[in-house]
Formats: sequence, C-alpha cells, structure tokens
Amino acid sequence: MEKRNDRTRVLLGTRKGTYVVEGDARRTHWKVGPVAHAGNEVYHVVADPRHPGDLYAAVNNMFFGPAVQRSRNSGKTWKEIATPLFPLEKDRKFEMNESEPSTPVKRALNNLWHIEPGHPSEPSTLYLGADPHLLFRSTDLGASWEPIESINDHPAKKNWAPGFGGACLHTILIDPRDARRLYIGMSAVGTFRSDDAGRSWKPTNKGVETPFLPDKHPETGQCVHHVAVDAADPDTFYRQDHGGMYVSHDRMEKWVRIGKPLGDDFGFGVASPRSDPGKAYFVRLDGRARVTGEGHFQVHEWNDKTRRWRKLLSPKAFPGHFGVQREGIATDSETPAGIYVGTTTGQLFVSPNAGKTWSLVPYQFPAIHSVSVANAT
Amino acid sequence: MIEVHLDSWLREFGPRGTEQMDADSVGNLLELLEKRYPRLRFKLRDETGQLRRYVRVFVDGEDVSGTTGVATVLARARTIDILHSIAGG
Repeated sequence: MEKRNDRTRVLLGTRKGTYVVEGDARRTHWKVGPVAHAGNEVYHVVADPRHPGDLYAAVNNMFFGPAVQRSRNSGKTWKEIATPLFPLEKDRKFEMNESEPSTPVKRALNNLWHIEPGHPSEPSTLYLGADPHLLFRSTDLGASWEPIESINDHPAKKNWAPGFGGACLHTILIDPRDARRLYIGMSAVGTFRSDDAGRSWKPTNKGVETPFLPDKHPETGQCVHHVAVDAADPDTFYRQDHGGMYVSHDRMEKWVRIGKPLGDDFGFGVASPRSDPGKAYFVRLDGRARVTGEGHFQVHEWNDKTRRWRKLLSPKAFPGHFGVQREGIATDSETPAGIYVGTTTGQLFVSPNAGKTWSLVPYQFPAIHSVSVANAT
Repeated sequence: MIEVHLDSWLREFGPRGTEQMDADSVGNLLELLEKRYPRLRFKLRDETGQLRRYVRVFVDGEDVSGTTGVATVLARARTIDILHSIAGG
C-alpha cells in the first residue's frame, strides 16, 4: 500500500545558493522556491527531523569565509548562527601532507562540508564536518561549537592527505540505537568509528583498496567518497569509494567490494531508502571522465539480499554526460521510495517510485553540490 | 581620525555608511571595527588574524593587502577602503 506525506521538500545546496524544491503529494510536480544564500557555495543543506521546519546550511563564501546558517521556517528565512573556529588557543599546528609536509603551518577553518543533526535522544546536538579534517559538536543547536580533539588533534594527522575537494570531513553517521556510536568519512583518509561518543576512533577501512597508492591495503589513506547506512540494519553500510563500491555488515569492521560486476564502479554518491531496507542506489561514473559513462544518465540499485545489481534507467532515457557529487543523491522515507539526483550541470532528476520512472524538475539550477530530503526520517 | 568605507557586500555585517576611527595599524583598525560590529569578525580575517584571500584593504588608495597587510602603519592615513576583490564566476 502506498504511503505518502502531503509534501516532500528537496533541499539543494548549489554552487550559487540554497534551494527548497517542494513536491505535490504524488511527487510529480515541483515548485522551486526562491534562492537563498545567493552567490555562496552551499556544500550541504539538511533538515533536522527532531525539530520540524529547522534547516541547516553549510555556506562557504570565497570572500568572507564559511558560515553556518539556520532556517526555522523550512527555508523561508535564514540566519547566520555560530561558526566553529579553528582552535588556536592551544596554538595547534596541523601539518598537512601537501607541498611541505615537514613544515607545520597554522591553519584556518576552510570549507564546511556536512552538518548532521544528532541522535533523537540528544535533541540539541549537532555535528559538523569541515576542512581541514575537522569535526565539531554543538550541544546547544549551533549557538556554540566544541572541537572534537580526538580527530582534530589525531596523532596520525600529519600523514592525512586531502582529496581533490580538499581535506574534507564529509560524512557523519550516528547509530540510531546508540548515540555514542559515530562514524565519519574523510578524504583521502577513509572511515573511522567511535564507540564512545567521539573520545576515541578506530580506522575502519579493512578490505577497501587504494589503487592510487603503492600499498593497496593500508589501514588509512582510502579516499572514501560517501557512505550510507541501511535503514533496517544499522550495522550495514554502503560505501562509494574512489576504489569502488563496497558493503559492510559488521559496523565497518570489514568491507566487501560489490561493484566489480559493473566494470567501472567509480562514483561519488550513494543513498539507501528508509522504506526499502537492503537496497542502495549508486550513481556510477566513468572513473577517468568523472561523469556518467556510456553517454547517458544512470543509477544502479544494489539489492543486498539477492546480491544483485539492477540498472534503473535505459540508455535512451536521458542521453548525455552528467557529473554527480558525493552528496548528490538522496532518498525520501515514503513508499515507494523517492530518489533524487542532482548534477554538476544543474539538473535535478526525480523518481517517485524507486526508480521505475524518472523525470527532470523543469528548472535549471546552478551546479548542485548536495541533495537531501526534509521528510527523510 | 580615519574614514573607513566598506563595500556594499560587507555592509550586511558592518557599518552601512562611513565609519570614523582612530587606529595605528590596519590590524588594530580591524580589531576595533570587529568590536563595534561583531558580525564582521572572521569575515575580513581568518582565525590566524590574516586577511582573507579575496579581501582587499586600501590605505589612501593604495592596496596593502598583498604587501604589508595587517601590519601596515596608519600614521598619516586619512581613508581606508575595505573591498572584496574581483574574483569568481
């Protein structure tokens, strides 16, 4: 039986601002709201399901630096709230493995990458991932931020290299059963798990290859692009890595590559629908060109029960070469699942029925960095 | 006193018109400006105190951003213009 909410709001972070795109009950007609944060690079926009109507945006301005913005009315108005600062009071010197890795440099906060509302049992907690490899926590809904020193001052940090997008901490996941269990993903470092609310972290990259390093199986150094958690089994994760598509069934203790049957299993984004556990959607890209291969838009569905792939679109549906970034695919919580894919050339693809049919929202957006859904939980 | 002008984008965070200030260096002037207008903090300079890459400070018409920067002495300065540079696309 089809279950649906009255309205679905798709939140877009783009190269030139934030958009809220509102769908009708059938998710077939879409109304694009006015742009907010015009001219700013918005890397992530997310709704806080614990506080309906609250949205957060990671806004990066090339002139005036990063800022966290909040809306309390589903995106009608926005206000800048506290932005975490690089913790200079201890004169920390973060070394980066760049041109002069042996020379410690004092660094400032760079781009903000991901905002994650905390566990439902902690209704005032937010997490924020930033560049260079920084993690912050707020326990007052963004009025202030505390640096999580176990990551920000990690002893191995001097060996952590940035990916092409920078030294970004871009993925933050919280175990729905236990607020103390956290997972993060960083480029090009890999994934880590904490079982003690961020006091300590364990690298969790076993099984993930690093084709770009001489050592193909290091403890860290993987360029994880994004990770999605399974809705029914919080021990199961789907991972799009530079080195391919993977699944883990044991809290990221080990990963198994699932993408090889697809040939080139490069990509950035992955999402797993709440209404259909055991499935994950990947946007497969040509590993060299970094756009969809074979001249058409494509999304692949992984069925973790049958361990089979299904290609959701025919080659004739949307010809062209499309780029999709790490936060560029999202699913909603409805049945059947809605799938939303934003491209680097500003198209928003929508499927209201788990990939059976697809359409384009008739609006030309700027390059889309992130897609999320306000009713996704 | 030094006349301080901010460009239109920065007026969202700071004074809407001309500001009269007394300071002995660009860094000192920015500190005073940030105290008067807290929302300007970290917009012009990052946490290390350095000017952001695309912020330009002109002292009596001369761009000091890439030279003496925040250390620029303002002994006989009359006007400061704080602008964002031509960049982007």
